[in-house]
Amino acid sequence: MSDSTQKVINSLKKRHRKEKVFRAAGATAIGFGFLLVFLLITDIITKATPAFKQNWIAIEVDFQPDLLGIDGLDLTRLPKGDYRTVLRSAIFEMMPEVSGRRDKRSLFGLISSSAEFEIRNHLVANPADLGKKVTVWVKVDDDVDSYLKDDVVVGEPGIRISEKQATWIKKWVDSELIESRWNSEFFSLGDSREPESAGVKGALTGTFYTMLVTLVLSFPLGVAAALYLEEFAPKNRWTDFIEVNINNLAAVPSIVFGLLGLAVIINIFGLPRSTPLVGGIVLTLMTLPTIIIASRASIKAVPPSIREAAMGLGASRMQVAFSHVLPLAMPGIITGTIIGMAQALGETAPLLMIGMVAFIVDVPGGITDPATVMPVQIYLWADSPERAFVAKTSAAILVLLGFLLIMNSFAAFMRKKFEKRW
Amino acid sequence: MENDLHLGQHISKRFNEELEEVRNLVMKMGGLVEQQVRSGLKALLAADQELAKKIVEEDDAVNALEIQIDETCTQILARRQPAASDLRLMVSIIKTITDLERIGDEAVKLGKNAAKLSDDGKSARQFVELRHLGEHVNETLNKALTAYARLDAETAFEIIKNDKVIDEEFDNISRLLITKMMEDPREIKNALRISWCARALERIGDHTKNICEYILYLVKGEDVRHNTVEEIRNKIAD
Amino acid sequence: MSDLSITEALTSDDIVIEGTVGTTTAEDAKMSMRNVNVFYGDKQAIKNVSLDLARNQVTALIGPSGCGKSTFLRCLNRMNDTIPICRVEGELKLEEQDIYAKKLDPVLLRARVGMVFQKPNPFPKSIYDNVAYGPRIHGLAANRAELDEIVVSSLQKAGLFGEVKDRLDAPGTGLSGGQQQRLCIARTIAVSPEVILMDEPASALDPIATAVIEELIDELKEKYTIAIVTHSMQQAARVSQATAYFHMGHLVEMGKTEQIFTNPTHELTENYITGRFG
Repeated sequence: MSDSTQKVINSLKKRHRKEKVFRAAGATAIGFGFLLVFLLITDIITKATPAFKQNWIAIEVDFQPDLLGIDGLDLTRLPKGDYRTVLRSAIFEMMPEVSGRRDKRSLFGLISSSAEFEIRNHLVANPADLGKKVTVWVKVDDDVDSYLKDDVVVGEPGIRISEKQATWIKKWVDSELIESRWNSEFFSLGDSREPESAGVKGALTGTFYTMLVTLVLSFPLGVAAALYLEEFAPKNRWTDFIEVNINNLAAVPSIVFGLLGLAVIINIFGLPRSTPLVGGIVLTLMTLPTIIIASRASIKAVPPSIREAAMGLGASRMQVAFSHVLPLAMPGIITGTIIGMAQALGETAPLLMIGMVAFIVDVPGGITDPATVMPVQIYLWADSPERAFVAKTSAAILVLLGFLLIMNSFAAFMRKKFEKRW
Repeated sequence: MENDLHLGQHISKRFNEELEEVRNLVMKMGGLVEQQVRSGLKALLAADQELAKKIVEEDDAVNALEIQIDETCTQILARRQPAASDLRLMVSIIKTITDLERIGDEAVKLGKNAAKLSDDGKSARQFVELRHLGEHVNETLNKALTAYARLDAETAFEIIKNDKVIDEEFDNISRLLITKMMEDPREIKNALRISWCARALERIGDHTKNICEYILYLVKGEDVRHNTVEEIRNKIAD
Repeated sequence: MSDLSITEALTSDDIVIEGTVGTTTAEDAKMSMRNVNVFYGDKQAIKNVSLDLARNQVTALIGPSGCGKSTFLRCLNRMNDTIPICRVEGELKLEEQDIYAKKLDPVLLRARVGMVFQKPNPFPKSIYDNVAYGPRIHGLAANRAELDEIVVSSLQKAGLFGEVKDRLDAPGTGLSGGQQQRLCIARTIAVSPEVILMDEPASALDPIATAVIEELIDELKEKYTIAIVTHSMQQAARVSQATAYFHMGHLVEMGKTEQIFTNPTHELTENYITGRFG
């Protein structure tokens, strides 16, 4: 064994030890990351679960035309009846032991304020029940809902249920009048001041439209810009200047884009505020640099030999760019787009500036309807005092994550499709 | 005409060495053959039987060298794929050694005839012309080999030009021998032997001329075989 | 010793290159270049080179790395146009057509003067589409049947059809290196060029594949005029009829291949092909 071999053997131990340390550090870092993600997801899921359930109460409602104050024969007047009175008498009848105005008011407060619309809807759907006494399920108030879901006792901070109310609720539960149901309304309703009536459909639709506008604007613009800069533009001071600015643009705080949107798009061009159209345009500004940078890198990575081959056959620059460079660069471009869109999806700040933070109950029907988006909705709910909104916030986060997952899966699918490298 | 070949200076040192080695072998073979011719001549003129036998033995060494050089050239051709001057060097060596080997054979003939003459108690001493021819041929061969070593195209051309002098001398000897034979038929046997020797010397002159043609091919890149002196002069003119 | 230091060794030599020795003109020239100078910015890559490509002949361009032979080749179908700092001066003609004329579209020129590159570079498409690409963009086939015919005959001319006829839909990149290069040649032939430029077409291939390509080049010269840049002197000797030796941007010597490889005139040529330094 030569002298140098011995030296190598001696140094090997040290090298192996270093490698082991590095591997252990790497594994620890990844483990830590996984742990954090796991904790986060578990926390969100645990907190969100109650929001997918809603407690309902069965009430015997007596649909007396005179109580409703409507003519029994004219069905068109059904929606205009005095359902509040009917509901009140139904509840007081159910709980005859409650007397006194104060108690009665606090008893009535246990039922969701949407209950009168629910019984109205029931009668409109079933006009035959007019004059009859039928059982109708209505939602309980969010305070009751939270009280029933969370394992808490009266008197804890944040619990807005009195001792008396607690005994009434207990009676309902004992006589099996209360039922916990799957809360499908969470997905089918817009926002509401009342947690039991608040859903994500409005925000989800708003997000969808906003993302659609962003994608439709930023993808072609970004790809075209990248393709032009890489394949056609002469390399001179101007293109260098543009390149530097695009890179800088990617680092601009997003709220600045919001200010720009407010100042230019709404105030100068006069597009309607709070709409997915304006939101999409603002997010496009924010997403474009990301897409352009990623696309340029991807276009640069296309082997020059392919360009030469096509050019050598007499393809024009346009044909080279579109039939060879672009398809080969597409997977990378899509990756860049995913990153850009994911950023845009989670963006709140610029949208606050253009008024998408407004309280909007209606589900938007198009890109020019006032709307809000998921992150803003989450922000709004997280800011609300009602206890039930805590669960709603987490549930909305889950929905947002789900949306992101679907979006990314679609992109991954597209990527795979384009990636079919021979 | 100056020597414009640089046989060294290859990027591959090994290649330089191989070329040097094969050239040395050729020079060695040339030296041996020259020695054979000189001995043959001496044996013929001095009726030296011992010397005549030695020539025959030496021929084995020449033949062995021919094979060795051939083998070395084959190796160089296969491994180095020489081009231009290197290629010409290979081709000229392969051809040169064939001629050298033939010269060796002719020298052996001289030796054998010298031995036979000596058996009959004769020598070629009295043939001044033969001695003259032999000395001339020997000198030409020596010059040719020197030209080969120095890649001297000018001397090679001179030799080619002067080949006809050897031919004339041979014709002279032939005429002389014919006269002798007609004068005295008893001399026919010896005269024929002398004639064989003169013939061998003339052949050696031809082979020497061939070698000089290869030198011109090597140095100038022109194939001058079967050309007149005038044509050669035009071809190699710079 | 690396190529660079050879060049240095040759540079340090006091051999002066004065014009070109040998025969640069051809009686029947397909392309003729006169006094060509090529600049990359301030650097002159080609210095006053004049030569002809003889019709239906293979002309080999040889020389040490960085001697300008590839640059010169790429001038012949204006592939250097894509390099902004590259400037070409002089008279370059394809038959009577000035190939650097302002009104000449390089697309048209490249359809007439095809190119095969050093590394086999098939498109990431099927074998069929690779060959059909050129005819498609130039509109050479009126219908599918005509296109099929062009593809098949091009593959046949490139000596590849027998090997791939059962898998024309298979990816071109799945072929072996030699087959890929023949596919690239078929792709070039499919456009029916008059001249084919080859930039070290076999340098990435094994000896057998190289031999097949060389045989193909020999056959192709019946129909096309070919210029080939090669690092392998043996290859130049094998396939070409005329050889041009480039050195530091100069065309040092040009002549018949048989003469260049047995008896070159210029000392630099001699040094290069015998593997010497000056």
